[in-house]
Amino acid sequence: MLKIQPAELKVIAQYIHDISGIYLDQSKSYLFETRLSSIAEEHGCNSYQELYQKARKDAGKRIERQIIDAISTNETLFFRDNGPFELLKHKLLPEIIDLRTPSSPRLKTNIKIWSAASSTGQELYSVAMVIKDLIGNQMDQFNFKLLGTDISDSAIQQASYGKYNKFEIERGLPRQTLQKHFTLFGDSWKVKDELRAMVNFRKLNLMLPFGGLGKFDIIFCRNVAIYFTLADRKKLFNKLADSLADDGFLIIGSTESLTGICPRFVPKRHLRAIFYQKKT
Amino acid sequence: MNNLTILVVDDDPVIRRLLEQRLAKEKYKVLLAEDGYVGNETLASNHVDVVLTDLMMPGDVGGIEVLEFAKELERNIEVILITAHSSIDTAVEAMKKGASDYLEKPINFTELFLRLEKISTMRGLVRNAQDLRQAMDVTESTAAETIQNLEITAASLQSHIDSIESIANNHELDFAERVAQILKNIQSIR
Repeated sequence: MLKIQPAELKVIAQYIHDISGIYLDQSKSYLFETRLSSIAEEHGCNSYQELYQKARKDAGKRIERQIIDAISTNETLFFRDNGPFELLKHKLLPEIIDLRTPSSPRLKTNIKIWSAASSTGQELYSVAMVIKDLIGNQMDQFNFKLLGTDISDSAIQQASYGKYNKFEIERGLPRQTLQKHFTLFGDSWKVKDELRAMVNFRKLNLMLPFGGLGKFDIIFCRNVAIYFTLADRKKLFNKLADSLADDGFLIIGSTESLTGICPRFVPKRHLRAIFYQKKT
Repeated sequence: MNNLTILVVDDDPVIRRLLEQRLAKEKYKVLLAEDGYVGNETLASNHVDVVLTDLMMPGDVGGIEVLEFAKELERNIEVILITAHSSIDTAVEAMKKGASDYLEKPINFTELFLRLEKISTMRGLVRNAQDLRQAMDVTESTAAETIQNLEITAASLQSHIDSIESIANNHELDFAERVAQILKNIQSIR
């Protein structure tokens, strides 16, 4: 494996931060080597400095995309932590449906949900499954917009395709749910079309302006800010507050905290989970 | 000692015996079945890691049916099909149904052992990842509880600070009244 030189660490770490917002600890050179060495080799680079220069010059940004794919962590699973999905089912969805249902029965209820770091899609599909199970055959009275965004092209691709191998499926999906919402596809499982039709995935770097996404009723932003610096975390949650409806809900990772990061949010507890709302 | 249990399903007694001997010599635990029916029965009542099955067998239960039964029973079972050269197309179809590999007759044992070793390594890695994940889950849920309690406590302290600040700045009250209200507010925190 190509060794990274101490002098290269700072440049590469800065470059990764610039393209992705991800902050890698420079004292852990193995983080860089295990993730980037094969890309360096593929492009015939003898040093990380050389890879950096090639990536900067690459007009098609192919190398940059490869680096982002390699650096971003796609650790995710269906119904991760479970708590937020119980919360969604028993509190957030019923409340938001109440708030958004128009007085005229001829009008549909519009609800927008965003999975801000959707990785390979498991979180957003879990949300879609909760919605389907809750609403059942009254789906035609609703207009759900479920958006998943991620910085990694390959993650977005897998998410849109909705195909998962047995290891991804085994984690977190009860057999009954699996059979209801997926179809067997060779040795893998594919999300059923009716579920896939509810969601939309697109690439987004959370460090850049969100640009026209509008306001959401519920935002999931779990386990992504942990890879950012404190300053970047403050910026991110401030932007999320701008993107959340005044009576909307924010859900962050179960071991994350907004104390000292964004005073615009107040935590609220329901059962064993915490959600955030904007301060009134 | 190899930790894999292998079920051999083949109607040819010579091949069965040969596979049994060679696999046992490599310290694999071996179960035998003389056709697809017995194969499926054995699968249903034993723990099996790998099924080594002939593709073409007399009766309604051939290699494909054994494969489907095994996958239905336990998604983690690896199935390797043994096939004559003429039925490679069927074997490829079987791969799409979840078979992990196929071997052409006559069986090349070096090849077979390499594949089994790969499966064994893979299982070890999966097991290792599961252990790590479990350890992480425990750490994470303990941490989550602590952090969530702190988060709620911090928010409640913040709201006390906010109201103390507004009392302190409330010039409609005289100094003594402000001090009294602030003290009362502080006492309510405890």
